[in-house]
Amino acid sequence: MINYIKHKLEICRAVAFVTYKEWSAYRTHSLVSVFVGPVYFIVQYFIWTAVYGGGGAIGGMELSETIRYFGASALIGYLTMDFADWNLQMLVRTGKFLTFSLRPVHHRFFALSQKIGHRILGFYLEFLPCLLIFVLLFKVDMIPCCPLWTALSVLLAFLMNFYVNYCLGMAAFYFVQANGIRVVYQLLGNIFSGMLIPLSFFPEIIQRIMIFLPFQYTNYIPAMVWTGNEAIGAMGLTIPQAVMYQAIAVIFTALLSEVLYRSSIKRFTAVGA
Amino acid sequence: MTAIKAENLVKSYTTYKRGSGFAEAIKSFFKREKVIVNAVDGISFEIEKGTVCGILGPNGAGKSTTIKMLCGALYPTSGRIDAMGFVPARDRTRYVNKIGAVFGQKSQLIWDIPPADSFAVNKAIYGISDEDYKNRLDEMTELFDVSEVIHKPTRVLSLGERMKCEFIMAMLHAPEIVFLDEPTIGLDVIAKSKIREVVREMNRKGTTFILTTHDLEDVEQLAEKVIIINHGKKVFDDSLQALKNVLGSKKIVSLTLTEPCIGDEIGGARIISRDNDFGVSLEVDTEKQSITDFLRDLTACGDFRDISVKELPMDMIITRIYSE
Amino acid sequence: MKYVKIYLACMQTAVSRAAAYRTDFVLGNLITLLSNIIFPLVTVLIYANGAEFPNWTMWEILLIQSVVSMSGAISSMISGGILWVTMDCVREGSFETILLKPLPPLFYIASSSVDTSSVGLFIGSIAMTVISAVHTGICGAEGIALFLLMFLGGISVMVGLDLIMAAISFKWVGNSRIPEIFDSVREFGKYPLEIFPESVRVISSIFIPVAVVGFFPASALLGRFDTLSLISLIPCAGFLLFGVWLYNRMIRIYEGVGG
Repeated sequence: MINYIKHKLEICRAVAFVTYKEWSAYRTHSLVSVFVGPVYFIVQYFIWTAVYGGGGAIGGMELSETIRYFGASALIGYLTMDFADWNLQMLVRTGKFLTFSLRPVHHRFFALSQKIGHRILGFYLEFLPCLLIFVLLFKVDMIPCCPLWTALSVLLAFLMNFYVNYCLGMAAFYFVQANGIRVVYQLLGNIFSGMLIPLSFFPEIIQRIMIFLPFQYTNYIPAMVWTGNEAIGAMGLTIPQAVMYQAIAVIFTALLSEVLYRSSIKRFTAVGA
Repeated sequence: MTAIKAENLVKSYTTYKRGSGFAEAIKSFFKREKVIVNAVDGISFEIEKGTVCGILGPNGAGKSTTIKMLCGALYPTSGRIDAMGFVPARDRTRYVNKIGAVFGQKSQLIWDIPPADSFAVNKAIYGISDEDYKNRLDEMTELFDVSEVIHKPTRVLSLGERMKCEFIMAMLHAPEIVFLDEPTIGLDVIAKSKIREVVREMNRKGTTFILTTHDLEDVEQLAEKVIIINHGKKVFDDSLQALKNVLGSKKIVSLTLTEPCIGDEIGGARIISRDNDFGVSLEVDTEKQSITDFLRDLTACGDFRDISVKELPMDMIITRIYSE
Repeated sequence: MKYVKIYLACMQTAVSRAAAYRTDFVLGNLITLLSNIIFPLVTVLIYANGAEFPNWTMWEILLIQSVVSMSGAISSMISGGILWVTMDCVREGSFETILLKPLPPLFYIASSSVDTSSVGLFIGSIAMTVISAVHTGICGAEGIALFLLMFLGGISVMVGLDLIMAAISFKWVGNSRIPEIFDSVREFGKYPLEIFPESVRVISSIFIPVAVVGFFPASALLGRFDTLSLISLIPCAGFLLFGVWLYNRMIRIYEGVGG
């Protein structure tokens, strides 16, 4: 058993390291984030300063909270960014997925290791510079109120994003035009993940529906936990409750991805006879 | 000892007829016409341990489908495979530890980084010990003469160099059976012969090789056993020597003449195809007519501008086997 | 005249291409439309929660944002394709095929890459503009004239930005994230200028005149136009000319070095 785990960790380390190296070639691309992130943040800052005017609370959030929220939301985006969906669809479409069925490794584990390597790169090329800009330049207090809950929540968001995208990627086993499904998900994700605006601003009924959908667990919940909001959204979730919902969502999605994976593998018929 | 035994392998695909145009597309959305295609249609064979077996056939004959089923990447629709005691598709995770595979078009190498780094990934995946890894890597890079190449990013390598690295990647874990799907396709003569040399060398050390190809030269130089597949069915399964006996010693000679030729024979050899008035292909049976005789007869017939000698192409071999 | 004919012929090909792949065309347009009308949602939600931008009604803000969408749609039909074609060609090293054509390269790329995926957005944003304008009311013929003038200025900024990005992609090969930089800068044009501090206002009306893309033309319609803003038209023209110049210069450098 210990050997099994050691072997798994060794694979994870090797794959993560190679992915890290692979993407290091594109590190100037990450510099775009260091510019874009703060610019969007500045715009948000002025919009909300104007909207809040003198003070008060909107959607149960005060100005300082909203500003912190947008900072946290952007930073969480850098930590959890994922393209497992695109990658898996590409592998299936080109038939390259075959090289994984010929190696004694679960492709999902391989992909997760890749993501770890890719996000380690994102950690210090995107996350750290932006965090420093927010804190030192814009003087925003970005220290989470409950660091442990925040860390746990961000970790869950990392996994959530991965499992959801992996499930979306598996659509390629079933449809030729699986890309459409991805685009639709992204579109809904843009609206309901919380990166556009905290879900607290939506009508209560939508917030209640969102409990059963994956979007909020990738960004809104962890950003609220980071902000330290004691009563999240219209349901007034406490931080431990919110993280628990998140954990349930992750477990459910992970199980779903395993079910889908098993039936996908049966379906998998490599391109070309 | 038998390495792989396949019985009545069948793989069928269901495809749907697709209409063109918008109205057809809408219609096919609701009702689609099913078409069942048997890519592999009841093939049985046995492959002995320690041999090199060539699976031959024209494009689309079902070779790749067969090899994918043998690797465990495809479930057979029906039939059984026993590979070293495993049922490949069912026991895939355990089985693939013992095999290696190179699929020409589907690279395992990571595009932007040197092959050496990609090798390290497989080292971890297969749990190869540091010592074995170093020994095998040294041995293989020596054999292929790529000790420099593996430290350059994959994207700058030539096709031949990349193929050699694919080979190394597939063989680092010392697999017992290695599957090669079109291993020499698109390579130049030097790279081809290097790869064949390494296959022979590894085979001498006990590795079983199963390769698909439509290049007869690959088979002639490597294989002891040949299986020929056409339209999903096995049409030949015997030793290389037996194949040679069936084919006889026939060569194809292409000529470019200086004046148009009439008739269906030149220099005693039958004309089998005409490209145009001046270009013709002849079939020379060297058992009935020695090359010296043929050339003498040929020069007597008239002037020609160009000559080239080829092996029998795949489709002719198959027609020949059918007609026997 | 010859160029007009070529451009029209290319547009015709683009239309027939769209007609041949109707499903792709419809879906592509729908997706572009939907992903572009997300950001006004923030405005709607702000007002729905009883908050507001001081001195601005919801429909006034939506008018600004509809105008931004409209000029985004037009500019992406004109020059959006240039950016992607250039990026792909430079990355694959196939830019030479463009240089082989007996036409000015920039003209050839612009006409052969006419993009039809923003037609839906164009129609949608016109509808949104009209609906918002009905709610806000507009300020006479003079306002419309000023609007058109500023709107043209906005389009030249957008086209100029596309060209500058395309020019950058000669140097920064294969970076598909370049457009994000300019998308983020455009954000400043989507809201009333007065919510930003003095320095940002100066930058977005003079140096990178993104205010001309949405805010200025919309305020012309609303009769809240400050005549001083006309100065911004100078940098607008400058952006377009700079874009063309920079792009052509990059082509010349590329010709010198080769792929």
